[in-house]
Amino acid sequence: MQPTTAPARKKRQWTGPNSNMILGPAMILPAVVALALFQYLPLITAVLNSLQSFSPFDQSSTGWVGLGNYSDIFADPAFRYALLNTFLYIVLMLALTIPLALLLAVLLDRRLPGTTWARNAVIGALAASEAVTALIWNQMYEPSSGLFNAILHAASLPTQPFLTGGSQALVSIVVMTVWKDVGLPLLIFLAGLQAIPRELHEAAQLDGANDWQIFRKITLPQLRPSIVVALFMVTITATRMFTPILIMTQGGPQGATTNLALYSYLQGFEFQSQGTASASVVCMLAVLAIVTLAQSYLLRGQQEK
Amino acid sequence: MAVQKDLENQGKVSRRTVLAGMAGAALTGAIASRGLVGSASAQGSYKLDLGGYAGPELTSEPVTLRFMRQDFTPDVNALLEAAYAEFKAAYPNISIVEEKVPYGDLQKKLLVYIASGDAPDIMMGRTDFTDAYHAGNVALPVQDYFSADYINDIPANLRAAASSGGNLYSVPWETSVMMLYFNRDLFEKVKMQTPPEVTGLDGGWTDEELVANLVEMNAKLKEAGDNQSWALAAAGQGNGGPGANYSQLESIWIRSQGDPNAAKDSAAYKTLMGISDDGFTVSGHIDTPEAIKGMQFYQSLFAKGLTPLGPVPNQYPGGLAATYFGGLNFTNRFRVPGKEPPFKWGVSLPPKGNIVFNGNGSDAPLVWSKSQHPAEAVALLSYLCNDKNRLAFHKTWGSMPSRTSLREQMSVFATEQPFKMAQALSDASYSVPRSPGYFDYFNAMNPAVKDIALGADPAKVLPDTAAKIDRLLAKYRR
Repeated sequence: MQPTTAPARKKRQWTGPNSNMILGPAMILPAVVALALFQYLPLITAVLNSLQSFSPFDQSSTGWVGLGNYSDIFADPAFRYALLNTFLYIVLMLALTIPLALLLAVLLDRRLPGTTWARNAVIGALAASEAVTALIWNQMYEPSSGLFNAILHAASLPTQPFLTGGSQALVSIVVMTVWKDVGLPLLIFLAGLQAIPRELHEAAQLDGANDWQIFRKITLPQLRPSIVVALFMVTITATRMFTPILIMTQGGPQGATTNLALYSYLQGFEFQSQGTASASVVCMLAVLAIVTLAQSYLLRGQQEK
Repeated sequence: MAVQKDLENQGKVSRRTVLAGMAGAALTGAIASRGLVGSASAQGSYKLDLGGYAGPELTSEPVTLRFMRQDFTPDVNALLEAAYAEFKAAYPNISIVEEKVPYGDLQKKLLVYIASGDAPDIMMGRTDFTDAYHAGNVALPVQDYFSADYINDIPANLRAAASSGGNLYSVPWETSVMMLYFNRDLFEKVKMQTPPEVTGLDGGWTDEELVANLVEMNAKLKEAGDNQSWALAAAGQGNGGPGANYSQLESIWIRSQGDPNAAKDSAAYKTLMGISDDGFTVSGHIDTPEAIKGMQFYQSLFAKGLTPLGPVPNQYPGGLAATYFGGLNFTNRFRVPGKEPPFKWGVSLPPKGNIVFNGNGSDAPLVWSKSQHPAEAVALLSYLCNDKNRLAFHKTWGSMPSRTSLREQMSVFATEQPFKMAQALSDASYSVPRSPGYFDYFNAMNPAVKDIALGADPAKVLPDTAAKIDRLLAKYRR
């Protein structure tokens, strides 16, 4: 569109009618370069590496192997187990984090006594170092001297192998991660709740709706954009979960807590196989893409309805 | 009685001794026949005692040598820094830049440096990975730079562990022995007999005796109202706890079930070797009935509640465990006046399966194959390994010397039981299973051992792990 405004406004566009053709791209160039260097280049490199084999000694490429690395990892039972565990982490994290964050956000939004303390505690956990948190929880889960087993012991209940039992280790890691990371979705929900006009609740109360009806018919629908954001964020967190697993179980017992992120690390740094590590990373990205696309599709469908 | 038996055994020449001697002679012969030893010797003209260095005179051009090693205790670090200062005073044109890396990250960092193409001139490696240093052209063959006397001073089995394809790729810095320490006070408290304090390889507890004694100890401690002390302390090697360090510790349970005198195609021989001759197959070696039996003994330590399921730092030195598997450094540290542990202690052999097994995998600095200053790097390394510096190091750090003459200069090796026993263990020690892919092997075995400790069936875990290691080693064939 040709400018039709006063000369003063024209002057602010620096020079002539085609100035935006230069200025616009120049303004976004830094962001494009950063994205290309730090997002797309590593991604392309990972894809290319997944199609090559490498010397286990100096990591130099020894040639193209097509989909050989992919067939290698799919033949590896540990990879299949890691793939399954990755989905388990996502499901458990979503199932525990989103409802808990929502509940805490609703309670904090009511400004009950102790709200400030509770909010600081949750944000404090979020701000804590992941490695330090994992080490502290590692101690608390310890079978002979940990806090949780001491509580069980005091209640005359049997000692639990929180991190050493095949059926408990993954859940134990998820519980710790939920405790640490519930703050982010909570803040998202809290912002969403505070953006809901109070008049809607007041009108519903005047119509005789009870608290549950107000929550279900007004609060939840109004929170949908916040829920979508929180779902994506928790999904990404769950997919790339790494530090707590490495510190607390190293992927054991018997691979019960290994996910694709840890599997890729082990392939690359413990077993000197850059090719299969890259193939595993590409698979992890594919999992993330599939899950987030599925979430987008499901949530968009509900909006359309 | 046991001492008598040991003395008798010392007079015998076993098949193992003959084989070790032949291997050592063959290696020395191979090195000598290539005319490499001291070929460019300028020995005697150096500006300070460069130990066994017999290479060319060092350059007078300005040179910076980079050395990557683990971080030792402050007193050992101080020794090394003082040594650098002395070297720098003699060769002011040579600067030394150190990089200290957490011990557990050394080998990973070494591989990352190699991949980067800009590695330090000297890196602390391990004899465990000698075949990888050879196959990957990581390390410089160093025998060219040393005198024959120096190389022959390294015991044959250690020399073989640091050599591959007829070349010496690293300089053994110390050697590993694993012994069974015990808390004499706790044994007295429950009125049990302590493990035999022998000086040779005979007379120690068997696997069955160890487990039975620890079970009895555990029961008696509980009876006495002691719910804090354990029969066996958590492993302190590596990151601690089960699966801490297969090379040094847990391999004892498997490889001691083997037999060096059995036929080469027998399960007993393969169990001891831990890998095929070509270094690429472990199925049939770590999953034999013998190996499974060994790991069942190991598992029983945890299943019977004799030792913690996770790492517990300083349990034995703190007096909270009756026994502990540790190296000679504990003996040395416990003997320092003012630093004695709060209990009377003693030391015995590791448990005997079919044989008493000791792995000699140990730290061994290497010179990067692409170092721009190979002679200077080897000279610095050799200087750090001269008698004066090594004796000071072993006295402070407490580990077992890797040269015969150093042991001879330390009178304790001739007079005191722990040292005599350590020497016997070292003389009969074996290298890790030989493979260019031992890093993968080690990294796959540690979690498998931990899983077994936590209750997984060795008869399932070991074959699965063997199949996994076979897959991992396949890439080294290419």
